[in-house]
Amino acid sequence: MFGLIGHSTSFEAARQLAERLGYPEYAAGDLDMWCSAPPQLVERFDVESATGKRIEGAYIDSVFVPEMLRRFKTAKRKVLNAMELAQKSGIDCSALGGFTSIIFEDMNLLREQQVRATTLEWQRFTTGNTHTAWVICQQVESNAPLLGIDLSQAKVAVVGATGDIGSAVCHWLNQRTDVGELLLVARKPQPLADLQQALGGGRILSLEEAIPEADVVVWVASLPESLTIDTGGLRKPCLMIDGGYPKNLDSKAAAEGVHVLKGGIVEFHTAIDWQVVALAADMARPERQMFACFAEAMLLDFEDRHTNFSWGRNNIQLEAMEWIGAASLRHGFRALGLAAAATAAPALAGLASP
Amino acid sequence: MPTLESTQPSETLGGEGLPDFSSAAYKDAYSRINAIVIEGEQEAHDNYLAIGSLLPDQAEELTRLARMELKHMKGFTACAANLGVTADMPFARDFFSPLRTNFQAALAEGKVVTCLLIQSLLIEAFAIAAYHIYIPVADPFARKITEGVVKDEYTHLNYGQEWLKANLEASRAELEEANRANLPHVRRMLESVAGDAAVLHMEKEDLIEDFLIAYQEALTEIGFNSREIARMAAAALVG
Repeated sequence: MFGLIGHSTSFEAARQLAERLGYPEYAAGDLDMWCSAPPQLVERFDVESATGKRIEGAYIDSVFVPEMLRRFKTAKRKVLNAMELAQKSGIDCSALGGFTSIIFEDMNLLREQQVRATTLEWQRFTTGNTHTAWVICQQVESNAPLLGIDLSQAKVAVVGATGDIGSAVCHWLNQRTDVGELLLVARKPQPLADLQQALGGGRILSLEEAIPEADVVVWVASLPESLTIDTGGLRKPCLMIDGGYPKNLDSKAAAEGVHVLKGGIVEFHTAIDWQVVALAADMARPERQMFACFAEAMLLDFEDRHTNFSWGRNNIQLEAMEWIGAASLRHGFRALGLAAAATAAPALAGLASP
Repeated sequence: MPTLESTQPSETLGGEGLPDFSSAAYKDAYSRINAIVIEGEQEAHDNYLAIGSLLPDQAEELTRLARMELKHMKGFTACAANLGVTADMPFARDFFSPLRTNFQAALAEGKVVTCLLIQSLLIEAFAIAAYHIYIPVADPFARKITEGVVKDEYTHLNYGQEWLKANLEASRAELEEANRANLPHVRRMLESVAGDAAVLHMEKEDLIEDFLIAYQEALTEIGFNSREIARMAAAALVG
Protein backbone atom coordinates (compact mmCIF):
# COMPACT_ATOMS: atom_id res chain seq x y z
CA MET A 1 0.00 0.00 0.00
CA PHE A 2 1.23 3.50 -0.83
CA GLY A 3 0.49 6.73 0.98
CA LEU A 4 0.32 10.40 0.14
CA ILE A 5 1.00 12.82 2.96
CA GLY A 6 -0.31 16.22 2.01
CA HIS A 7 -1.87 19.41 3.21
CA SER A 8 -4.04 22.24 1.98
CA THR A 9 -2.44 25.13 0.13
CA SER A 10 -3.57 27.70 2.70
CA PHE A 11 -5.55 27.94 5.92
CA GLU A 12 -8.46 29.42 4.01
CA ALA A 13 -8.36 26.56 1.48
CA ALA A 14 -8.24 24.07 4.36
CA ARG A 15 -11.32 25.58 5.98
CA GLN A 16 -13.19 25.57 2.69
CA LEU A 17 -12.25 21.94 2.14
CA ALA A 18 -13.47 21.06 5.64
CA GLU A 19 -16.76 22.80 4.87
CA ARG A 20 -17.20 20.92 1.59
CA LEU A 21 -16.37 17.59 3.18
CA GLY A 22 -18.90 18.12 5.95
CA TYR A 23 -16.69 18.99 8.94
CA PRO A 24 -18.25 22.26 10.09
CA GLU A 25 -16.31 22.32 13.40
CA TYR A 26 -13.01 22.35 11.54
CA ALA A 27 -14.29 24.86 8.98
CA ALA A 28 -15.16 27.25 11.79
CA GLY A 29 -12.02 26.62 13.84
CA ASP A 30 -9.24 29.17 14.15
CA LEU A 31 -5.56 28.53 13.43
CA ASP A 32 -4.86 27.62 17.06
CA MET A 33 -7.45 24.87 16.84
CA TRP A 34 -5.89 23.55 13.64
CA CYS A 35 -2.50 23.60 15.32
CA SER A 36 -3.87 21.16 17.91
CA ALA A 37 -5.73 18.93 15.44
CA PRO A 38 -4.12 15.56 14.75
CA PRO A 39 -3.46 14.18 11.26
CA GLN A 40 -6.28 12.32 9.54
CA LEU A 41 -6.26 9.40 7.14
CA VAL A 42 -9.06 10.82 5.06
CA GLU A 43 -9.34 8.55 2.06
CA ARG A 44 -8.41 5.19 0.55
CA PHE A 45 -8.47 4.43 -3.16
CA ASP A 46 -7.34 1.88 -5.78
CA VAL A 47 -5.04 2.75 -8.64
CA GLU A 48 -4.50 0.66 -11.79
CA SER A 49 -1.26 0.86 -13.72
CA ALA A 50 -1.17 0.88 -17.51
CA THR A 51 0.27 -2.63 -17.07
CA GLY A 52 -2.95 -3.73 -15.34
CA LYS A 53 -1.44 -4.00 -11.87
CA ARG A 54 -3.68 -2.69 -9.09
CA ILE A 55 -2.52 -1.21 -5.81
CA GLU A 56 -4.25 0.45 -2.88
CA GLY A 57 -3.38 3.88 -1.56
CA ALA A 58 -4.35 6.27 1.19
CA TYR A 59 -4.28 10.04 1.59
CA ILE A 60 -3.20 11.44 4.92
CA ASP A 61 -3.91 15.08 5.59
CA SER A 62 -1.22 16.29 7.96
CA VAL A 63 -3.54 19.15 9.00
CA PHE A 64 -0.56 21.40 8.40
CA VAL A 65 -1.16 24.65 6.54
CA PRO A 66 1.56 27.00 5.27
CA GLU A 67 0.51 29.60 7.84
CA MET A 68 2.09 27.27 10.45
CA LEU A 69 5.56 27.50 8.85
CA ARG A 70 6.68 30.11 11.33
CA ARG A 71 5.55 28.02 14.27
CA PHE A 72 8.56 25.78 14.18
CA LYS A 73 7.43 23.25 16.77
CA THR A 74 3.95 22.97 15.34
CA ALA A 75 5.21 22.40 11.81
CA LYS A 76 7.63 19.76 13.01
CA ARG A 77 4.98 17.98 15.04
CA LYS A 78 2.52 17.97 12.14
CA VAL A 79 4.99 16.22 9.87
CA LEU A 80 6.14 13.65 12.43
CA ASN A 81 2.60 12.84 13.53
CA ALA A 82 1.46 12.37 9.93
CA MET A 83 4.42 10.05 9.31
CA GLU A 84 3.59 8.07 12.44
CA LEU A 85 -0.01 7.72 11.32
CA ALA A 86 1.13 6.50 7.89
CA GLN A 87 3.40 3.89 9.45
CA LYS A 88 0.82 2.74 11.98
CA SER A 89 -1.72 2.45 9.17
CA GLY A 90 0.55 -0.15 7.55
CA ILE A 91 1.50 1.98 4.55
CA ASP A 92 4.66 0.64 2.90
CA CYS A 93 5.69 3.74 1.04
CA SER A 94 4.49 7.30 1.65
CA ALA A 95 5.44 10.41 -0.26
CA LEU A 96 6.04 13.58 1.72
CA GLY A 97 4.05 16.09 -0.29
CA GLY A 98 4.02 19.88 -0.37
CA PHE A 99 5.88 21.49 2.48
CA THR A 100 6.18 18.28 4.49
CA SER A 101 9.43 17.12 2.86
CA ILE A 102 10.80 20.65 3.08
CA ILE A 103 10.03 20.79 6.79
CA PHE A 104 11.53 17.33 7.25
CA GLU A 105 14.74 18.42 5.57
CA ASP A 106 15.07 21.98 6.86
CA MET A 107 14.24 21.08 10.46
CA ASN A 108 16.45 18.02 10.38
CA LEU A 109 13.76 15.60 11.48
CA LEU A 110 16.12 12.67 10.94
CA ARG A 111 17.02 13.33 14.57
CA GLU A 112 13.41 12.74 15.62
CA GLN A 113 12.98 9.09 14.75
CA GLN A 114 11.12 8.30 17.97
CA VAL A 115 7.51 9.54 17.97
CA ARG A 116 5.86 8.49 21.23
CA ALA A 117 5.91 4.67 21.20
CA THR A 118 6.71 4.49 17.48
CA THR A 119 10.17 4.33 15.94
CA LEU A 120 9.76 5.75 12.46
CA GLU A 121 11.07 3.42 9.75
CA TRP A 122 12.62 5.72 7.20
CA GLN A 123 12.41 3.12 4.44
CA ARG A 124 8.64 3.67 4.45
CA PHE A 125 8.99 7.27 3.22
CA THR A 126 10.22 9.13 0.17
CA THR A 127 10.45 12.80 -0.66
CA GLY A 128 9.52 11.94 -4.23
CA ASN A 129 12.16 14.38 -5.44
CA THR A 130 13.82 11.96 -7.89
CA HIS A 131 10.64 11.64 -9.91
CA THR A 132 9.93 15.36 -9.62
CA ALA A 133 13.40 16.18 -10.97
CA TRP A 134 12.99 13.72 -13.85
CA VAL A 135 9.56 15.13 -14.72
CA ILE A 136 10.85 18.71 -14.74
CA CYS A 137 13.69 17.72 -17.06
CA GLN A 138 11.18 16.02 -19.38
CA GLN A 139 9.09 19.17 -19.32
CA VAL A 140 12.07 21.23 -20.42
CA GLU A 141 13.11 18.82 -23.14
CA SER A 142 9.60 18.28 -24.55
CA ASN A 143 8.13 21.75 -24.37
CA ALA A 144 11.00 24.06 -25.36
CA PRO A 145 10.99 22.76 -28.97
CA LEU A 146 7.21 23.30 -29.15
CA LEU A 147 7.87 27.01 -28.67
CA GLY A 148 10.64 27.05 -31.26
CA ILE A 149 13.38 27.09 -28.63
CA ASP A 150 16.38 25.06 -29.78
CA LEU A 151 17.80 23.66 -26.55
CA SER A 152 21.27 23.27 -28.02
CA GLN A 153 21.37 27.03 -28.46
CA ALA A 154 19.33 27.92 -25.41
CA LYS A 155 20.26 29.33 -22.04
CA VAL A 156 18.44 27.50 -19.27
CA ALA A 157 18.31 29.23 -15.88
CA VAL A 158 17.74 27.06 -12.83
CA VAL A 159 16.48 29.15 -9.90
CA GLY A 160 17.17 27.20 -6.72
CA ALA A 161 19.99 25.35 -8.45
CA THR A 162 21.66 24.06 -5.30
CA GLY A 163 18.57 22.45 -3.76
CA ASP A 164 17.78 18.76 -3.91
CA ILE A 165 15.70 18.97 -7.07
CA GLY A 166 17.59 21.91 -8.56
CA SER A 167 20.97 20.21 -8.44
CA ALA A 168 19.54 17.01 -9.92
CA VAL A 169 17.96 19.02 -12.76
CA CYS A 170 21.30 20.77 -13.40
CA HIS A 171 23.23 17.50 -13.53
CA TRP A 172 20.67 15.89 -15.83
CA LEU A 173 20.52 18.82 -18.25
CA ASN A 174 24.31 19.00 -18.20
CA GLN A 175 24.96 15.32 -18.84
CA ARG A 176 21.89 13.97 -20.63
CA THR A 177 20.98 16.85 -22.92
CA ASP A 178 22.85 19.30 -25.14
CA VAL A 179 21.52 22.45 -23.47
CA GLY A 180 23.45 25.49 -24.70
CA GLU A 181 24.27 26.99 -21.32
CA LEU A 182 23.14 26.57 -17.74
CA LEU A 183 22.59 29.71 -15.65
CA LEU A 184 22.84 28.86 -11.97
CA VAL A 185 20.84 30.91 -9.47
CA ALA A 186 20.64 30.35 -5.71
CA ARG A 187 21.00 32.36 -2.55
CA LYS A 188 24.14 30.88 -1.04
CA PRO A 189 27.45 31.48 -2.86
CA GLN A 190 29.44 28.49 -1.59
CA PRO A 191 27.02 25.73 -2.59
CA LEU A 192 26.71 27.47 -5.96
CA ALA A 193 30.46 27.42 -6.44
CA ASP A 194 30.53 23.75 -5.43
CA LEU A 195 27.76 22.93 -7.89
CA GLN A 196 29.51 24.78 -10.70
CA GLN A 197 32.66 22.80 -10.01
CA ALA A 198 30.77 19.49 -9.90
CA LEU A 199 29.07 20.32 -13.19
CA GLY A 200 32.30 21.45 -14.78
CA GLY A 201 30.46 24.49 -16.10
CA GLY A 202 27.44 26.70 -15.87
CA ARG A 203 27.42 30.42 -15.13
CA ILE A 204 26.58 31.77 -11.69
CA LEU A 205 24.26 34.77 -11.89
CA SER A 206 21.90 36.72 -9.70
CA LEU A 207 18.20 36.27 -10.37
CA GLU A 208 17.99 39.74 -11.92
CA GLU A 209 20.90 38.99 -14.25
CA ALA A 210 19.77 35.51 -15.24
CA ILE A 211 16.13 36.08 -16.08
CA PRO A 212 16.53 38.43 -19.06
CA GLU A 213 19.11 36.10 -20.61
CA ALA A 214 17.20 32.86 -20.25
CA ASP A 215 15.17 31.08 -22.93
CA VAL A 216 13.99 28.59 -20.33
CA VAL A 217 13.67 29.24 -16.59
CA VAL A 218 13.25 26.33 -14.20
CA TRP A 219 11.97 27.59 -10.83
CA VAL A 220 12.55 25.13 -8.03
CA ALA A 221 12.68 27.64 -5.21
CA SER A 222 9.48 29.04 -3.84
CA LEU A 223 8.90 32.62 -4.81
CA PRO A 224 8.49 35.18 -2.09
CA GLU A 225 5.18 37.00 -2.30
CA SER A 226 7.10 40.22 -2.78
CA LEU A 227 8.98 39.03 -5.86
CA THR A 228 8.06 40.74 -9.09
CA ILE A 229 9.25 39.77 -12.54
CA ASP A 230 9.80 42.42 -15.20
CA THR A 231 8.09 40.57 -18.03
CA GLY A 232 9.08 43.30 -20.49
CA GLY A 233 12.72 42.30 -20.10
CA LEU A 234 12.16 38.59 -20.77
CA ARG A 235 13.22 36.83 -23.93
CA LYS A 236 10.32 35.91 -26.20
CA PRO A 237 9.48 33.13 -26.38
CA CYS A 238 10.36 32.12 -22.88
CA LEU A 239 9.42 28.83 -21.25
CA MET A 240 8.99 28.99 -17.48
CA ILE A 241 8.67 25.75 -15.56
CA ASP A 242 7.05 26.51 -12.20
CA GLY A 243 8.49 23.69 -10.11
CA GLY A 244 8.37 25.55 -6.80
CA TYR A 245 5.86 25.19 -4.06
CA PRO A 246 3.37 26.75 -3.87
CA LYS A 247 2.92 27.40 -7.58
CA ASN A 248 2.38 31.11 -7.99
CA LEU A 249 4.46 31.98 -11.03
CA ASP A 250 1.60 32.35 -13.49
CA SER A 251 0.41 35.50 -11.80
CA LYS A 252 3.90 36.99 -11.72
CA ALA A 253 5.02 36.22 -15.26
CA ALA A 254 1.88 36.55 -17.37
CA ALA A 255 2.82 38.17 -20.68
CA GLU A 256 2.65 37.58 -24.41
CA GLY A 257 5.30 35.07 -25.42
CA VAL A 258 5.92 33.90 -21.85
CA HIS A 259 4.72 30.35 -21.36
CA VAL A 260 4.33 29.19 -17.79
CA LEU A 261 4.00 25.46 -17.21
CA LYS A 262 3.28 23.88 -13.85
CA GLY A 263 6.41 21.94 -13.10
CA GLY A 264 6.70 18.53 -11.51
CA ILE A 265 3.12 17.60 -12.36
CA VAL A 266 2.16 14.37 -14.07
CA GLU A 267 -1.00 13.08 -15.64
CA PHE A 268 -2.11 9.48 -15.18
CA HIS A 269 -3.44 7.34 -18.05
CA THR A 270 -6.81 6.92 -16.41
CA ALA A 271 -9.03 8.68 -13.89
CA ILE A 272 -8.52 7.84 -10.21
CA ASP A 273 -11.54 7.59 -7.97
CA TRP A 274 -10.30 9.89 -5.24
CA GLN A 275 -12.58 12.54 -3.85
CA VAL A 276 -10.61 14.37 -1.19
CA VAL A 277 -7.34 14.45 -3.10
CA ALA A 278 -9.23 15.86 -6.08
CA LEU A 279 -10.72 18.60 -3.91
CA ALA A 280 -7.47 19.35 -2.08
CA ALA A 281 -5.28 19.45 -5.17
CA ASP A 282 -5.06 22.60 -7.20
CA MET A 283 -5.05 20.79 -10.56
CA ALA A 284 -6.79 21.41 -13.88
CA ARG A 285 -7.75 17.73 -14.14
CA PRO A 286 -7.65 16.56 -10.53
CA GLU A 287 -8.90 13.05 -11.33
CA ARG A 288 -5.72 12.38 -13.32
CA GLN A 289 -3.14 15.01 -12.44
CA MET A 290 -0.94 14.98 -9.37
CA PHE A 291 2.42 16.05 -8.04
CA ALA A 292 5.24 13.87 -9.33
CA CYS A 293 6.35 13.24 -5.75
CA PHE A 294 3.00 11.57 -5.02
CA ALA A 295 3.33 9.55 -8.20
CA GLU A 296 6.74 8.36 -6.97
CA ALA A 297 5.11 6.61 -4.01
CA MET A 298 2.72 4.89 -6.43
CA LEU A 299 5.58 3.90 -8.72
CA LEU A 300 7.58 2.41 -5.87
CA ASP A 301 4.52 0.39 -4.84
CA PHE A 302 3.79 -0.71 -8.43
CA GLU A 303 7.40 -1.86 -8.65
CA ASP A 304 7.38 -3.45 -5.15
CA ARG A 305 10.39 -1.32 -4.36
CA HIS A 306 9.59 -0.44 -0.77
CA THR A 307 12.50 1.78 0.08
CA ASN A 308 13.16 5.43 0.84
CA PHE A 309 14.04 5.96 -2.80
CA SER A 310 14.48 9.75 -2.52
CA TRP A 311 16.03 10.69 0.79
CA GLY A 312 18.35 13.32 2.19
CA ARG A 313 19.64 16.33 0.34
CA ASN A 314 21.51 16.28 -2.95
CA ASN A 315 21.61 12.50 -3.15
CA ILE A 316 19.70 12.14 -6.41
CA GLN A 317 21.62 10.02 -8.91
CA LEU A 318 21.00 10.25 -12.64
CA GLU A 319 20.62 6.45 -12.81
CA ALA A 320 17.83 6.68 -10.24
CA MET A 321 16.15 9.39 -12.33
CA GLU A 322 16.36 7.12 -15.36
CA TRP A 323 14.88 4.19 -13.46
CA ILE A 324 11.97 6.15 -12.00
CA GLY A 325 11.41 7.82 -15.39
CA ALA A 326 11.14 4.46 -17.15
CA ALA A 327 8.76 3.22 -14.44
CA SER A 328 6.72 6.40 -14.80
CA LEU A 329 6.18 5.83 -18.51
CA ARG A 330 5.56 2.09 -18.06
CA HIS A 331 2.79 2.61 -15.52
CA GLY A 332 1.03 5.31 -17.47
CA PHE A 333 2.25 8.69 -16.28
CA ARG A 334 3.08 11.60 -18.60
CA ALA A 335 4.68 14.87 -17.62
CA LEU A 336 2.28 17.77 -17.94
CA GLY A 337 2.94 19.63 -21.18
CA LEU A 338 1.96 22.96 -22.66
CA ALA A 339 -0.51 21.39 -25.07
CA ALA A 340 -2.30 19.51 -22.30
CA ALA A 341 -2.34 22.58 -20.12
CA ALA A 342 -3.75 24.72 -22.94
CA THR A 343 -6.44 22.15 -23.66
CA ALA A 344 -7.41 21.98 -20.02
CA ALA A 345 -7.53 25.73 -19.56
CA PRO A 346 -7.94 27.34 -22.98
CA ALA A 347 -8.93 30.69 -21.55
CA LEU A 348 -5.49 31.05 -20.06
CA ALA A 349 -3.78 30.68 -23.42
CA GLY A 350 -1.03 28.35 -22.36
CA LEU A 351 -0.89 29.15 -18.69
CA ALA A 352 -1.14 25.98 -16.69
CA SER A 353 -3.03 27.07 -13.66
CA PRO A 354 -6.71 26.22 -13.47
CA MET B 1 8.92 18.62 -3.50
CA PRO B 2 11.24 21.48 -4.21
CA THR B 3 13.49 22.78 -1.56
CA LEU B 4 12.34 26.01 -0.05
CA GLU B 5 15.02 28.60 -0.01
CA SER B 6 12.86 31.57 0.77
CA THR B 7 10.97 30.36 3.82
CA GLN B 8 12.77 29.61 7.01
CA PRO B 9 11.18 29.04 10.38
CA SER B 10 11.41 32.08 12.58
CA GLU B 11 12.08 30.03 15.68
CA THR B 12 15.48 28.55 16.18
CA LEU B 13 16.17 24.84 16.17
CA GLY B 14 16.50 22.91 19.41
CA GLY B 15 17.77 24.87 22.38
CA GLU B 16 14.87 23.76 24.53
CA GLY B 17 16.83 22.80 27.59
CA LEU B 18 15.29 21.48 30.78
CA PRO B 19 13.43 23.63 33.30
CA ASP B 20 15.09 24.58 36.59
CA PHE B 21 13.58 21.89 38.83
CA SER B 22 14.67 23.69 41.98
CA SER B 23 13.08 27.05 41.21
CA ALA B 24 10.12 28.26 43.25
CA ALA B 25 8.06 28.77 40.10
CA TYR B 26 8.69 25.19 38.99
CA LYS B 27 7.81 23.74 42.37
CA ASP B 28 4.67 25.83 42.57
CA ALA B 29 3.43 24.63 39.17
CA TYR B 30 4.56 21.09 39.95
CA SER B 31 2.46 21.03 43.12
CA ARG B 32 -0.68 21.23 40.98
CA ILE B 33 0.41 19.10 38.00
CA ASN B 34 1.72 16.38 40.27
CA ALA B 35 -1.49 16.48 42.31
CA ILE B 36 -3.52 16.00 39.13
CA VAL B 37 -1.47 12.95 38.28
CA ILE B 38 -1.82 11.48 41.78
CA GLU B 39 -5.56 12.20 41.88
CA GLY B 40 -5.93 10.81 38.34
CA GLU B 41 -4.31 7.53 39.34
CA GLN B 42 -6.41 7.32 42.51
CA GLU B 43 -9.62 7.94 40.56
CA ALA B 44 -8.57 5.43 37.93
CA HIS B 45 -8.14 2.86 40.68
CA ASP B 46 -11.60 3.61 42.06
CA ASN B 47 -13.18 3.71 38.61
CA TYR B 48 -11.84 0.32 37.53
CA LEU B 49 -13.17 -1.27 40.69
CA ALA B 50 -16.53 0.43 40.06
CA ILE B 51 -16.63 -0.81 36.46
CA GLY B 52 -15.95 -4.28 37.87
CA SER B 53 -19.25 -4.02 39.72
CA LEU B 54 -21.01 -3.53 36.37
CA LEU B 55 -19.04 -6.31 34.66
CA PRO B 56 -18.76 -9.06 37.30
CA ASP B 57 -17.18 -11.53 34.87
CA GLN B 58 -14.37 -9.00 34.26
CA ALA B 59 -13.92 -8.04 37.91
CA GLU B 60 -10.68 -9.96 38.34
CA GLU B 61 -8.98 -8.27 35.38
CA LEU B 62 -10.32 -4.88 36.43
CA THR B 63 -9.01 -5.37 39.96
CA ARG B 64 -5.60 -6.09 38.46
CA LEU B 65 -5.74 -2.84 36.45
CA ALA B 66 -6.87 -0.96 39.56
CA ARG B 67 -3.87 -2.26 41.51
CA MET B 68 -1.52 -0.99 38.82
CA GLU B 69 -3.01 2.48 39.15
CA LEU B 70 -2.31 2.51 42.88
CA LYS B 71 1.29 1.54 42.17
CA HIS B 72 1.54 4.47 39.74
CA MET B 73 0.09 6.79 42.34
CA LYS B 74 2.79 5.81 44.80
CA GLY B 75 5.46 6.40 42.17
CA PHE B 76 4.23 9.91 41.44
CA THR B 77 3.93 10.67 45.14
CA ALA B 78 7.61 9.80 45.39
CA CYS B 79 8.36 12.21 42.51
CA ALA B 80 6.91 15.10 44.53
CA ALA B 81 8.83 14.07 47.62
CA ASN B 82 12.01 13.91 45.58
CA LEU B 83 11.60 17.55 44.57
CA GLY B 84 10.45 18.59 48.03
CA VAL B 85 6.99 19.53 46.77
CA THR B 86 3.64 19.05 48.49
CA ALA B 87 0.91 18.11 46.04
CA ASP B 88 -2.11 20.42 46.01
CA MET B 89 -4.74 17.71 46.32
CA PRO B 90 -7.81 19.98 46.78
CA PHE B 91 -6.95 21.60 43.45
CA ALA B 92 -6.70 18.21 41.77
CA ARG B 93 -9.98 16.92 43.16
CA ASP B 94 -11.68 20.03 41.86
CA PHE B 95 -9.90 19.60 38.52
CA PHE B 96 -11.41 16.13 37.99
CA SER B 97 -14.85 16.95 39.31
CA PRO B 98 -16.66 17.31 35.92
CA LEU B 99 -15.50 13.89 34.71
CA ARG B 100 -15.98 12.37 38.17
CA THR B 101 -19.56 13.67 38.32
CA ASN B 102 -20.33 12.26 34.87
CA PHE B 103 -18.70 8.94 35.72
CA GLN B 104 -20.66 8.59 38.95
CA ALA B 105 -23.93 9.45 37.19
CA ALA B 106 -23.25 6.83 34.50
CA LEU B 107 -22.28 4.29 37.15
CA ALA B 108 -25.52 4.89 39.05
CA GLU B 109 -27.46 4.24 35.83
CA GLY B 110 -25.42 1.14 35.02
CA LYS B 111 -24.08 2.74 31.80
CA VAL B 112 -20.94 0.71 31.39
CA VAL B 113 -20.17 2.12 27.93
CA THR B 114 -20.05 5.67 29.26
CA CYS B 115 -17.97 4.58 32.24
CA LEU B 116 -15.48 2.87 29.94
CA LEU B 117 -15.32 5.87 27.62
CA ILE B 118 -14.60 8.25 30.48
CA GLN B 119 -12.05 6.13 32.31
CA SER B 120 -10.50 3.76 29.84
CA LEU B 121 -10.45 5.97 26.77
CA LEU B 122 -10.50 9.63 27.82
CA ILE B 123 -8.57 9.56 31.09
CA GLU B 124 -6.07 6.98 29.81
CA ALA B 125 -5.50 8.86 26.55
CA PHE B 126 -5.12 12.05 28.57
CA ALA B 127 -2.56 10.35 30.80
CA ILE B 128 -0.65 8.85 27.89
CA ALA B 129 -0.45 12.22 26.16
CA ALA B 130 0.64 14.03 29.31
CA TYR B 131 3.27 11.42 30.19
CA HIS B 132 4.68 11.39 26.64
CA ILE B 133 5.02 15.17 26.65
CA TYR B 134 6.39 15.18 30.19
CA ILE B 135 9.08 12.52 29.82
CA PRO B 136 11.54 14.60 27.74
CA VAL B 137 11.33 17.53 30.19
CA ALA B 138 11.08 15.61 33.47
CA ASP B 139 13.72 15.48 36.19
CA PRO B 140 15.74 12.24 36.00
CA PHE B 141 13.94 10.60 38.92
CA ALA B 142 10.45 11.35 37.58
CA ARG B 143 11.44 10.47 34.06
CA LYS B 144 12.31 6.91 34.99
CA ILE B 145 9.08 6.42 36.90
CA THR B 146 6.94 7.97 34.17
CA GLU B 147 8.53 5.82 31.48
CA GLY B 148 7.46 2.74 33.38
CA VAL B 149 3.94 4.06 33.93
CA VAL B 150 3.23 5.00 30.33
CA LYS B 151 3.71 1.40 29.18
CA ASP B 152 1.04 0.27 31.66
CA GLU B 153 -1.40 2.96 30.59
CA TYR B 154 -1.41 1.63 27.03
CA THR B 155 -2.64 -1.72 28.37
CA HIS B 156 -5.43 0.10 30.21
CA LEU B 157 -6.47 2.00 27.09
CA ASN B 158 -6.36 -1.32 25.30
CA TYR B 159 -8.73 -2.88 27.83
CA GLY B 160 -11.54 -0.41 27.16
CA GLN B 161 -10.81 -0.48 23.48
CA GLU B 162 -11.17 -4.26 23.22
CA TRP B 163 -14.39 -4.37 25.24
CA LEU B 164 -15.98 -1.59 23.19
CA LYS B 165 -14.79 -3.17 19.95
CA ALA B 166 -16.48 -6.43 20.87
CA ASN B 167 -19.67 -4.57 21.72
CA LEU B 168 -19.54 -1.75 19.17
CA GLU B 169 -22.93 -2.02 17.55
CA ALA B 170 -24.72 -2.09 20.88
CA SER B 171 -22.49 0.72 22.22
CA ARG B 172 -22.27 3.08 19.26
CA ALA B 173 -25.04 5.53 20.14
CA GLU B 174 -24.03 5.74 23.79
CA LEU B 175 -20.37 6.19 22.86
CA GLU B 176 -21.18 9.10 20.57
CA GLU B 177 -23.34 10.71 23.20
CA ALA B 178 -20.75 10.21 25.94
CA ASN B 179 -18.11 11.62 23.60
CA ARG B 180 -20.16 14.77 23.10
CA ALA B 181 -20.81 15.14 26.80
CA ASN B 182 -17.27 14.54 28.05
CA LEU B 183 -14.72 15.51 25.42
CA PRO B 184 -15.23 19.27 25.92
CA HIS B 185 -14.41 18.71 29.61
CA VAL B 186 -11.05 17.25 28.63
CA ARG B 187 -10.24 20.32 26.59
CA ARG B 188 -11.26 22.66 29.40
CA MET B 189 -9.18 20.63 31.85
CA LEU B 190 -6.17 20.94 29.57
CA GLU B 191 -6.73 24.65 29.19
CA SER B 192 -7.04 25.16 32.92
CA VAL B 193 -3.56 23.74 33.52
CA ALA B 194 -1.91 25.15 30.41
CA GLY B 195 -0.08 27.83 32.40
CA ASP B 196 1.34 25.37 34.94
CA ALA B 197 2.18 22.88 32.21
CA ALA B 198 4.10 25.58 30.34
CA VAL B 199 6.28 26.16 33.41
CA LEU B 200 7.15 22.46 33.16
CA HIS B 201 7.94 23.05 29.43
CA MET B 202 4.83 21.15 28.34
CA GLU B 203 2.77 23.01 25.74
CA LYS B 204 -1.00 22.95 25.54
CA GLU B 205 -1.01 22.52 21.78
CA ASP B 206 1.16 19.39 22.06
CA LEU B 207 -0.98 18.01 24.87
CA ILE B 208 -4.24 18.39 22.97
CA GLU B 209 -2.85 16.90 19.77
CA ASP B 210 -1.19 13.98 21.56
CA PHE B 211 -4.37 13.32 23.52
CA LEU B 212 -6.40 13.27 20.31
CA ILE B 213 -3.92 10.99 18.58
CA ALA B 214 -4.19 8.42 21.38
CA TYR B 215 -7.98 8.81 21.51
CA GLN B 216 -8.37 8.58 17.74
CA GLU B 217 -6.23 5.46 17.62
CA ALA B 218 -8.51 3.86 20.19
CA LEU B 219 -11.61 4.86 18.19
CA THR B 220 -10.03 3.41 15.04
CA GLU B 221 -9.38 0.12 16.82
CA ILE B 222 -12.92 0.07 18.17
CA GLY B 223 -14.19 0.27 14.60
CA PHE B 224 -15.21 3.84 13.86
CA ASN B 225 -14.37 5.07 10.36
CA SER B 226 -12.12 8.04 9.74
CA ARG B 227 -15.01 10.38 9.07
CA GLU B 228 -16.78 9.51 12.32
CA ILE B 229 -13.51 9.85 14.21
CA ALA B 230 -12.71 13.30 12.84
CA ARG B 231 -16.14 14.50 13.86
CA MET B 232 -15.94 12.95 17.31
CA ALA B 233 -12.49 14.43 17.89
CA ALA B 234 -13.77 17.88 16.94
CA ALA B 235 -15.66 17.94 20.25
CA ALA B 236 -12.28 18.30 21.97
CA LEU B 237 -11.20 21.16 19.76
CA VAL B 238 -14.27 23.39 19.88
CA GLY B 239 -17.26 23.78 22.13
